[in-house]
Amino acid sequence: MEARPTWYYLAPALLVLGTLLAAANLYLRPERAVPWIVSVLLLGGMAVVLALVTRGSSDDVARRRAAVSIRSAIVFAGLILVFTLSVSLVNAINATGNREISERVTMAILGAYLVFTGNAIPKTLSPLSTMPGDAARVQALQRLAGWTWVLTGFFYAIAWLVLPRSLAEAITFVLLPAAMLMILAQLFRLRRARQHPA
Amino acid sequence: MSSVFKALADPSRRRVLQLLRQRPMSAGELADHFPVSKPTMSAHFAILQEAGLIEAEKTGRTIIYRLKMSVLEDALLSFAHTLGWKMKLQEGARTAAENGAAKRRPLKGES
Repeated sequence: MEARPTWYYLAPALLVLGTLLAAANLYLRPERAVPWIVSVLLLGGMAVVLALVTRGSSDDVARRRAAVSIRSAIVFAGLILVFTLSVSLVNAINATGNREISERVTMAILGAYLVFTGNAIPKTLSPLSTMPGDAARVQALQRLAGWTWVLTGFFYAIAWLVLPRSLAEAITFVLLPAAMLMILAQLFRLRRARQHPA
Repeated sequence: MSSVFKALADPSRRRVLQLLRQRPMSAGELADHFPVSKPTMSAHFAILQEAGLIEAEKTGRTIIYRLKMSVLEDALLSFAHTLGWKMKLQEGARTAAENGAAKRRPLKGES
């Protein structure tokens, strides 16, 4: 059997930790039961998806790739939930009352997730025989999309970590749509080039 | 990650990656850009494949190589290329300076 890397166990560990934190929050503040129960339900749903992904492991490259990307999405979602629940728990025991830190770190984790997913975009290759259109154009689009996501995620995270909240919000509203528009425009160009080859 | 650094350490392999940035190419097309033997090129391709920076796909009788670099690896390639280029310039300048000094040095017997 193939040895699994340490990060493989990160997703289940985060799900267990998140459930424990939600239970502790429920115990300390039972009057706000709804968010904790929703958190537990979310974590349960992610656990089911994780179990399905783990059980359905196959030799097919595309399926393995999909499993890795689902697993990494669960890790990032788990990180966000664990962090938010930890801050709520700290607030419940009155250690600190800073809600802004929770929001800033959550946004920074989202930025890191964009960097992580963007970094992998140019590495995902489909067979040349099934490739839609010119392989060089597809490769250029993948590189552009990857770089755009990585830089967007990087500046998104930095903005939420260092800038004033209002400015970080404004940057978020500009950065993400601009990045999406840029990639969509390139996709549109690729599609047009395929329909009307020179 | 060490395999990536090993792959990027060689200027010929960096050149292969830069050529593949333009478009996927066959082994023959790539080899045309280098004044080295086919086995040497094959060795370079093998190292790049081992590092996961390129992927080979057989279409008919030709093998097509294409880029399989993450954004981070792409940035590393640009960095290594710039650094390698600067080092080459510095090396060239040093060699030129040494040659110049050697020319200026008086020969034995000269006053």
